[in-house]
Amino acid sequence: MSESLNIQGFTNRTLGWKAWLPILDPAQASPAQQAVLEESHPQAKVSQYYLTLIHQPEVLRQRSLAFNAIMYAPGGLSRAERELASAVVSRINQCVFCASVHAQRFEQLAKRNDAIAQVFADPHTAGTTPREQAIVQFAIDLTLAPGDLPPERLLALREQGLNDGEILDLIHAIAIFAWANRLMLNLGEPVWP
Amino acid sequence: MNSSATPDLLDRLLLTAGGPVQQLRQARGKVVSATQGSYEALFDADLPGNLSLEERLLVAWYACRLTPHAPLAAHYREPLHLLATDPQTLAAVEKDALTELQSPRLQAMLGFTRTLVRNPVEGDREALNALLAAGLETIDVVTLGQLIAFISYQVRLAAGLSALQALEPAQ
Repeated sequence: MSESLNIQGFTNRTLGWKAWLPILDPAQASPAQQAVLEESHPQAKVSQYYLTLIHQPEVLRQRSLAFNAIMYAPGGLSRAERELASAVVSRINQCVFCASVHAQRFEQLAKRNDAIAQVFADPHTAGTTPREQAIVQFAIDLTLAPGDLPPERLLALREQGLNDGEILDLIHAIAIFAWANRLMLNLGEPVWP
Repeated sequence: MNSSATPDLLDRLLLTAGGPVQQLRQARGKVVSATQGSYEALFDADLPGNLSLEERLLVAWYACRLTPHAPLAAHYREPLHLLATDPQTLAAVEKDALTELQSPRLQAMLGFTRTLVRNPVEGDREALNALLAAGLETIDVVTLGQLIAFISYQVRLAAGLSALQALEPAQ
């Protein structure tokens, strides 16, 4: 494991998360809720995040299906680049918890954390290669101004060698963190070790 | 095999039937079906809890207007005709004048919507307490948070799909 990053209030250390609403007691979960927890995440039954969202089980089920299909499906955009996009969106939205998780995932996949250190320091100039810079810039644009996305913005991605399937994967990875960040930011808070 | 052969909402609203972007989406069929499944769950007339379908549509319409995303805003606005939402409420949402809303509950929900759309880091514990004080229960706050977060996802996915379709196919 490489050095820990602590930059501008963002970190790659392992953080906890505390719910602001009453969570479901796992012992009181209905069979349907149990099933959704099990298919959502390996640690869902001990996670205050999942035990908050399980109050509305079908929505959590569909969210988890979308999230897992977007972040873990084989082929297309590399998983490290999906994690980079997730970390950028989380940095822009100031979701410290999400940024920490996806900083770690990027590092596990890419075996380096230089790009994440740059994203934490200043996302607007981040990226260790022109390809990473294009991915980072697109993640910022789609996060901050979804109502103003000129198609030409995608040409910078094609110029860096992304095919349209990879661009779709990137759009998915950015969009799903508009969702994930708002749950983590607005239903609870990170807990520092 | 092809579980997502039926065009979903975003296909129907934005994309040319059988066109290249729709075909690209088919290669990620699980994402298409879970995106549609999320939409159908959040706007299910029988969704557990106490947020009416009308309230959920007003939140979605307002979030899309703030973004802005005109096609999705029109999509969520349309069924409000059938639900006979009162004109004063529609006008207040349309011109983003939340103080003119009669219902403190709707005012609290749309205020929360505005915060999460515009600057989600500002949505703190006090913001949840304001919802609870306006009469929402725990399940309703979870539903509202999921709904606004889903719309935030949906508008970005929609914008990306439209941009991809507007480009000439890659050589």
